[in-house]
Amino acid sequence: MAHETQSSLKIRPYLLSAPALVLYVGMFLIPLIMTLMLSFYSYDMTKGGIIEEFSLGNYTEVITDSYFHGIFLRTLSMSVLVTVFCVLLGTPEAYILHRMSSPWKSICMLAILGPLLVSVVVRTLGWAILIGSKGVINQTLMSIGLIDEPIKLMFTTTGVVIALVHVLIPFMVLSVWASLQKLDLQVESAGQSLGASPFTVLRRIVIPEIMPGILSGSVIVFALTASAFATPSILGGRRLKVVATTAYDEYLGSLNWPLGAAIAVLLLIANIIIIMSYNKFIERKYAQAFK
Amino acid sequence: MSFLHLDGLVKKFGDFVAVENMDLEVEKGEFVSLLGPSGCGKTTTLQMIAGFVTPTQGRIHINGHDITDVKPSKRNLGIVFQSYALFQHMTVFDNVAFGLEMRNIDKAEREERVRETLSLVHLGEFAHRFPRELSGGQQQRVALARALVIQPEVLLLDEPLSALDAKIREDMQIELRAIQKTLGTTTILVTHDQSEAMAMSDRIAVMNQGKLAQVDRPYIAYEHPGDSFVTKFLGKSNVFNGAVKEVSDGISMVDIDGLEFLSRCEKFPPGAQVDVSIRPEKVRLVEVDKGRLEGTIKARIFVGTHWVFQIVTRIGEMVVVSQNTGHQDVEEGSKTGLDWSLEEVRMLPRETD
Repeated sequence: MAHETQSSLKIRPYLLSAPALVLYVGMFLIPLIMTLMLSFYSYDMTKGGIIEEFSLGNYTEVITDSYFHGIFLRTLSMSVLVTVFCVLLGTPEAYILHRMSSPWKSICMLAILGPLLVSVVVRTLGWAILIGSKGVINQTLMSIGLIDEPIKLMFTTTGVVIALVHVLIPFMVLSVWASLQKLDLQVESAGQSLGASPFTVLRRIVIPEIMPGILSGSVIVFALTASAFATPSILGGRRLKVVATTAYDEYLGSLNWPLGAAIAVLLLIANIIIIMSYNKFIERKYAQAFK
Repeated sequence: MSFLHLDGLVKKFGDFVAVENMDLEVEKGEFVSLLGPSGCGKTTTLQMIAGFVTPTQGRIHINGHDITDVKPSKRNLGIVFQSYALFQHMTVFDNVAFGLEMRNIDKAEREERVRETLSLVHLGEFAHRFPRELSGGQQQRVALARALVIQPEVLLLDEPLSALDAKIREDMQIELRAIQKTLGTTTILVTHDQSEAMAMSDRIAVMNQGKLAQVDRPYIAYEHPGDSFVTKFLGKSNVFNGAVKEVSDGISMVDIDGLEFLSRCEKFPPGAQVDVSIRPEKVRLVEVDKGRLEGTIKARIFVGTHWVFQIVTRIGEMVVVSQNTGHQDVEEGSKTGLDWSLEEVRMLPRETD
């Protein structure tokens, strides 16, 4: 009797986590493994599509072809740019929000988080309306005579970066906000009482204290930009390909699923390497102060 | 002129008067506590001295200089905050060195002064730790060292010990007072803990509803409170309402619900409504019929050094404290006599709510 109870106790945790496990394996792990397998196959239209034979052809193609280099580099630089702008705009935004008094605090918080409730596609189409050559921004600037011809924002890196910053900044604000919540309000007073000007207090005390939040926010924004699809595809179009849209085009445009899979796998690996080494760096830097 | 002078300080938040016409003079090297319940304006007063809150009216002088309009960063005050407010991303050493760095003191001197101050608070070996690796008591010492290293004109302590365990708190009280005496730094302590205020201060400033109720040395404030608020806030007291019946030969007779209460005090004329106060430890339990009043013991609590009795009498409940010096044979529910000497009975102006 007692023995039975014990053994049933032992498997209970596994039984309880089984539904989640099934979901995780079925919805994430299996497709991932299948994509990985697919990436090692090759594609030949004359031989009737996908040839199920192991080859590294897709990888050598992506790694050696300068066309793909350009796409990967563009994605990387776009991710870095978006991350930098999110840090520069999101951190002060979160700090100002933190210093506001209620009810304005919650109203502004809602304004920042509200866009998250709207689909990325809808928001991006909104940007397309704003920044198109016949869009609201260009029309307005031209009608008040500030510019003679429309500023080119659609299908440019600038346009995509602007829209991605807007889409992703809530993640930055939330992340910084979380670490500001942990910040003792009195440290700023303490800094001032020790003779530091408000600016010095910000630079020497507040920013270092919320650095973990800024860094983890950057990781989120970077990863989301690197794998972003909707915004670059709508605002960047075919002329401004990034890795995610290229993989998509290989799948659905050229029907070369194996090559698309290889691109997707390489993006995943690059993302993992960059984010893990970044995390290592953060951990090493803040190990003692922020356990 | 005194070293720190609060001259008619007023702070209003909208219609609410947080601090009302506060005058306080503190001598150089003196340790003064602002004591009161929460919301009495003690923290607001400290914030005004520190410069984080601008007074609505009144001036603050330190060492003859009017600092009312000086920025907090230029006041040269050391502040220890309730939450310690240590810089978590800096080591103990860097925390303490921060104030010196802001004063552009060169590296060699900085290092020496930080070392000196850290050893003063017994944290010499912890210089390279981070705040999170320290216990509450140690963090408290870092906060103190950080405030002291800049050699402040006035040290402001904002409920610095309230987050510590009772045992460590008592040790820190003694240590803090010793350090303060060694350095001779003029100190203002804000606290709601009357025993802490009494244990540490040269003088206590009791505050109530934005006003100073009494400023005195701890013993005087305890033994000769100015009003019922002070007597109840500084320790416990049995307070009864009554009217003065007659005054003769330096002894007042106060009528409390028909009981004639005597006090060696003649501050009030016959007919005046007064509060009569007697401290629990000044009342003795005696045999029935041998005291000034009779009562029934409702509860008896043993707290180690002494016994606390709750006694129901005809004029109301009384608390009596007796030292645990010997056998206590009074049981709950039994009758007892209560006695005291007339010198211990205080007469105070009637508290009006």
